[in-house]
Amino acid sequence: MATDASKSGEQTLFVRKASGLVKGWSSTDGFRYSFFSVNLFLAIWSFAYATFIPGGSMFWAIVITAIFIILEIVVYAGLISAMPRAGGDYVWMTRIFHSSVGFVIAAVGWWFILWLWTPIYADMGVQTTIKPIFRILGLHGAADWLGTATGIFVASLVVIAIASILVAVGMKTYANFQKWAMWIGLAGVIVCGILLLVTSGDSFKEKFNQAAEKYYGGDVGLLDLTKYEQDEAGLFVYDDEGNMVVVEGETNAGAFEAVEAVGAGTGMPTSTFSGGLSWATWAIIPFMLFWMAWPNWGATLYGEVRGAKDFRKNIYQMLGGLLVPTAIALAFLGLMTWKVGYQAFMGMMASFWWGISPIGGDYISPTAMISWIVPNAAFQVILIAAISLLLFGWFGTLFLSSTRMIFASAFDRILPERAAKVTSGGVPVVALLLMTIPSTIVAALYAYTPIVEERGVTIVKLFTYDATFGIIIMFLGSGLAFMVMKWRARGIWENSALPKSGIAGIPWMAIIAAVYCAFLVFNIFMFVWDPDGVYYINLWESALFMGGLYLAGVVIWIVAWTIRKKQGMELEAVAKEIPVE
Amino acid sequence: MRVRLFFATDVHGSEVCWRKFINSARHYEADVLILGGDMTGKAIVPIVQTGPEQWRYHMLDITHDLNGADDLAKAERLIKDHGYYPVALTPEERDEYTSDEDKLEELFHAQMRKTVEEWVEWADMKLEGSGIQCIVCPGNDDRHDIDDILATSKHMQVGEGNVLDLPEGYQLASSGWTNLTPWDTPREEDEPKLKERIMGIVKQATVPPERLVLGLHAPPYDTQLDVAPKIDWETLTVQGQDSAHVGSTAVKEVIEEVQPILSLHGHIHESRAAVRIGRTLAVNPGSSYVEGMVAGVVVDLDGKSKLKRYRLTSG
Repeated sequence: MATDASKSGEQTLFVRKASGLVKGWSSTDGFRYSFFSVNLFLAIWSFAYATFIPGGSMFWAIVITAIFIILEIVVYAGLISAMPRAGGDYVWMTRIFHSSVGFVIAAVGWWFILWLWTPIYADMGVQTTIKPIFRILGLHGAADWLGTATGIFVASLVVIAIASILVAVGMKTYANFQKWAMWIGLAGVIVCGILLLVTSGDSFKEKFNQAAEKYYGGDVGLLDLTKYEQDEAGLFVYDDEGNMVVVEGETNAGAFEAVEAVGAGTGMPTSTFSGGLSWATWAIIPFMLFWMAWPNWGATLYGEVRGAKDFRKNIYQMLGGLLVPTAIALAFLGLMTWKVGYQAFMGMMASFWWGISPIGGDYISPTAMISWIVPNAAFQVILIAAISLLLFGWFGTLFLSSTRMIFASAFDRILPERAAKVTSGGVPVVALLLMTIPSTIVAALYAYTPIVEERGVTIVKLFTYDATFGIIIMFLGSGLAFMVMKWRARGIWENSALPKSGIAGIPWMAIIAAVYCAFLVFNIFMFVWDPDGVYYINLWESALFMGGLYLAGVVIWIVAWTIRKKQGMELEAVAKEIPVE
Repeated sequence: MRVRLFFATDVHGSEVCWRKFINSARHYEADVLILGGDMTGKAIVPIVQTGPEQWRYHMLDITHDLNGADDLAKAERLIKDHGYYPVALTPEERDEYTSDEDKLEELFHAQMRKTVEEWVEWADMKLEGSGIQCIVCPGNDDRHDIDDILATSKHMQVGEGNVLDLPEGYQLASSGWTNLTPWDTPREEDEPKLKERIMGIVKQATVPPERLVLGLHAPPYDTQLDVAPKIDWETLTVQGQDSAHVGSTAVKEVIEEVQPILSLHGHIHESRAAVRIGRTLAVNPGSSYVEGMVAGVVVDLDGKSKLKRYRLTSG
């Protein structure tokens, strides 16, 4: 016998000897998974995207996004607490709405669209980490090759291999790997912070120029100090064909001066606060979702973790996963502003997308440029590699959630039984194939489809934000499910430990979900409307791609429904609650 | 002719799950209902009187203050749906139960018996004239005396230690006994004894393996059906993120040797899965009783020698 006591010391629960009493997934494990998902590499990649809307304030875009994502955390903590099942969004939507709705939306969000994330992961890994390391090591041929279509495709295959291995080793081993990866990566981040703190702006610029000269200049021949004409306001001057006008006979003094010129010439703001709460700032928010929307990425896994019914614990771990990387990202922006000026930093980011990066067109990786402060190649490689564990430790999340969604729909028999097959070693072999094979095809399309001249990237690479869009739609579905849970799934609602208080009969939980859904609708609207022409979701090719994915989901569900009906059991019966009375 | 079984397990005192289980035959169009054990609850929630018509209780970290008999009745229903036993007590009675283990034991005993009696009565009412075969088998957490109460049912059969006939010439051999657990529960024993017990039951079967269904509460060892948090047997606390296979080697050996068409298990709530062990499909549908949901499995047998299909459910 055992007893639980309240804060006052009174006994509030008498417990007898019975099996399975104790559960308790470490909050640290949940925090770590969220922390990796709100990935710092996605953050620095998003900073480059934000250059497309120079009139907005990145600081305020981050803060506003964080506030709304806190609502997401409450919504998902609630859903997990009420129904902690493997499959997450799929299970909630199928149970609260309908089997078809849940499957189609979740299949796109947790399964199909992650095929597109594969080359995105690869591209980021190559640009932020592998290429800078290869440059430092003098492996320019390999670095250049990685920038080719075949290089991106092969890098995608490597991502597929890493992601598959991390899934195959199981959650426990992966959690251990994430633990070490996080500490080593964070140690690297701390070293970067210290380096930035103790280095003066002038010294940073000097080291930046020296490293650029050393790794890209001289015989290497990649350093491009071309000076472009700027008007009185400092903006680049374009000729009739839309090309920037080169100042003949002059060059920038160094790579840093070149990126400074890019910052001014492309109209980047001088302060991260510039733009305040203007419309342009709100237009940056969809870009920020690319890295900040994912503290709930572990939602599909909570059927396997302990303590998932604890609403507050779920909130704490996801909140930590959001706030720590957000604070680090803001601190980084602050340090860069302090040391080199915000406009120059944005110039570094913009130079890649504008195709005028002075370092051979390469992305100016924040980790690399900070490592350059110490003019020692070994130190630089070690620092970049250490921080890259924050990226590689995250790769397993690419397929892990998908496999759980596939399992859940196989258990419900929308997919065949064999989709949930695991080997004796626990490897979800069929679910992995359902990820790896299509991912390979999408990676090939990402790498080899025709290049869009005015953007300099392939047509499928232009769909990058579809990868966020498809998941955001799914989050909206789950948000709506949580909003109506009290009415659509009364039994689950009543049995949950969620706070039931509210106003005028509407629980606060539903109100929070409604505000969160409104935020998502705003972002979906922005993606589709795209007044600045920066998200590329409303391209007809992109619409075709997304439409194809949803159509595939619909077709699978209809085929499954037809087969199961013939077999004497409708899919809806599986998802419906059994009557109580 | 096809036979459809619906199997669920580990409802642990949740009244809403019990009712759903009984109603699941119509929902899933099943011919046979099988409950795989651990019917009884694990905890009592004391509803302590704070005034003439006022009570207070704590559940899931929330304090509830009740005013009047209606509030009390609603709270009792909610607590029962969670799988706990609600007991209205004065503060003095609560303190007495806190300090006297034997008295608390008696209270548990009485609550479990009362609840099972009520469940049997309700099930008999619902199953009357339905033509549905309903089999319940206690599990390791259930005391032995509930078997006698279950045996009083007009429309339910008790599985423990028995081989029961199913439609179309199938048979079900059941036992709620498990291998040893850290909790020293009523129906557990070491592996050799467990194997002897199960084989003793299986030998009573008169059908070939392709028409035999096993209903064994403990899942087979080292499969996807038996993964649980790793627990320190001294402190009964979870060991970090570690998990362990906690199923029964005896059960696994019996399945490997007998090769029944189907083997149904429970016990490990978080290990919801289905695996093939030779020709046998072994399933643990898991348990979501705390959420008031019945996790189960629908299995279609073809009436001959094949298992046509199965589907894990949650309703």
